[in-house]
Amino acid sequence: MSATPSKYMNRRKLMIRIRQHALYYVLIGFALVWTLVFQFLPMAGIVMAFQDFDIIKGFRGSPWVGFKHFIEMFRIDPLRRAIVNTIYYSVLKLFFAFPLTIIFALLLNELTNMTFKRIVQTVSYLPYFLSWIAVVSLFYSFFELYGPLNDLRLRLFGPDTPRVNILMEPRYFTGIMFWSHVYKEIGWGTIIYLAAISGIDGQLYEAAVVDGCGRFRLVLHITLPGIMPTIVILFIMQAGGLLNANFEQIIGLQNLYTRESSEVINTIVYRYGLQQGKFSLATAFGLTQGVVSFIIMFVVNRISKSLSGVGVW
Amino acid sequence: MSGNEQETANYSSSPSRGRRWKTSERVFNVFNITLMILLCIIFIYPYVNQLAVSLNDSNDTALGGITVYPRVITFENYNMVFSNSMFTSALFVSVVRVIVGCLSGLFVTYSAAYALSKQSLPGRAFFTTVLLIPMFVSGGMIPTFILYRMMGLMNKFPVYILPYLFGFYNMIIIRTFLRTIPESLEESAMLDGANSVDIMFRIYVPLSMPVIATIALWMAVFHWNDWTSTLLYVQSKSLHTLQFMMYRLLKESEVMMQIAADRARQGLASGEDVPKITPESLKAATLMVSTIPIVVVYPFLQKYFVKGIMIGAIKE
Repeated sequence: MSATPSKYMNRRKLMIRIRQHALYYVLIGFALVWTLVFQFLPMAGIVMAFQDFDIIKGFRGSPWVGFKHFIEMFRIDPLRRAIVNTIYYSVLKLFFAFPLTIIFALLLNELTNMTFKRIVQTVSYLPYFLSWIAVVSLFYSFFELYGPLNDLRLRLFGPDTPRVNILMEPRYFTGIMFWSHVYKEIGWGTIIYLAAISGIDGQLYEAAVVDGCGRFRLVLHITLPGIMPTIVILFIMQAGGLLNANFEQIIGLQNLYTRESSEVINTIVYRYGLQQGKFSLATAFGLTQGVVSFIIMFVVNRISKSLSGVGVW
Repeated sequence: MSGNEQETANYSSSPSRGRRWKTSERVFNVFNITLMILLCIIFIYPYVNQLAVSLNDSNDTALGGITVYPRVITFENYNMVFSNSMFTSALFVSVVRVIVGCLSGLFVTYSAAYALSKQSLPGRAFFTTVLLIPMFVSGGMIPTFILYRMMGLMNKFPVYILPYLFGFYNMIIIRTFLRTIPESLEESAMLDGANSVDIMFRIYVPLSMPVIATIALWMAVFHWNDWTSTLLYVQSKSLHTLQFMMYRLLKESEVMMQIAADRARQGLASGEDVPKITPESLKAATLMVSTIPIVVVYPFLQKYFVKGIMIGAIKE
């Protein structure tokens, strides 16, 4: 019976509270307007994947074509190759670069001299603070025909050794991609693991030592299980990026000789969309990539939750 | 200099009380230290090599064999970079971008964090969700490109600033910090008749300088290092940034020819013989100019950078 007046009172109270907070709404308004314009409007722009989008006619004037571009895209050979490349590169990073970071963190943790440890850490952060194009530039100079690597090869194998232009050879691209990724990210990537390790209860180690565990078994039985939740979460987050190659890295490393064999989905979207003006087709690629990525992330998270109880959400 | 908080409990790496290292453990220590030294060399060698090349005479570099020190020291390569209008303009654009990008980005992100740190704000959860959604879905490269085109952002300086005004992750870090500031401060200021914007600028901003410094550093590094916005949205050469000049040096041989022509013209004008600069030396000097500001600074500020990812990792 008294529901109506109290509801009315509540609403009045709410209005008063909102009025009291008016200035806060102005403050958050900047971020909200920004999100609407720069994030949600492009999402609406996805409709162009279902149109024959023409930049002069705009969204209203361009004809609707349904799933034409989604059917067409699977007939394009370079795209098929790009999908294979993208997955290949991601799998390499996930199953080889990812464990390397953990191993590096564990080895750092075994250093007993704190000053030395800090120096190693600081040095290993260096590439992280360089832009991708700077790292690419370093790699180009290092692997050049007359760069340090070829100099070293000549010194090791004698002056008759032919100089190789590693960066112009398609077959070396994957290796360069992988190691430049490791070079740039491995040092910085250890921070989160080292933090997780320092969060492990010291009594566990003491108890294990009493039970006769040596140093290696401590790592195996205490440290690794202790950081397992961190490992799982980072793994899920990376697995979600299975279809997402690093655009900056690939576009930077590619050159005329290696481009064709090293295209990934992101770079194909760039070439078809921005360089050739096939906006709708490229949007269809991008949309498919986004949807599939989301599903992968969701599935991996589910699997992890049911197996280990750890999930990102 | 640098302080990392990770070294507190390091039980596994010291021999337990009264016990000496076992032989196998000592062998491991030697192996581990050697490996780490080797890794350090690998991390730093390519960079030091380029530093040496940038300080070495260009014709001498062409002979090959430069390692970690310049054989024939010269500042001609840097002279070249700082006297060429393409590079000075790029340096100027980069610096202005960092300053404007940081200030405007901090303002928008901080304002949002401040408003959302108020537990009493009606609609707080809804706003947070709206801001969070773009972390999971996005329009993608092409729709974003078309939007910027329709908004007339192409080839305009604001295309470096506006798309990066707000960052959800940064906002969460600031919000987490703001929640540690007692609300009683605000209440007493309210009683003195200050409004919430006054309070934000007069009380909260000065108190949150540590977190502002952290976020500002992240933003500065991002703006300084970003080169794909130029690749995607800017053709006009007067708006190229220093990082993009590096991309052009790597990809376009015509840039070299243009620079050579510029120099020849300078030489004709001044009646001197201008020394030739090879692409290698020019690339090295550009690399140094565009990375040294960060490389010199990060070892001393790394605790701020580390703090940023730690707070974020705990919160999410």
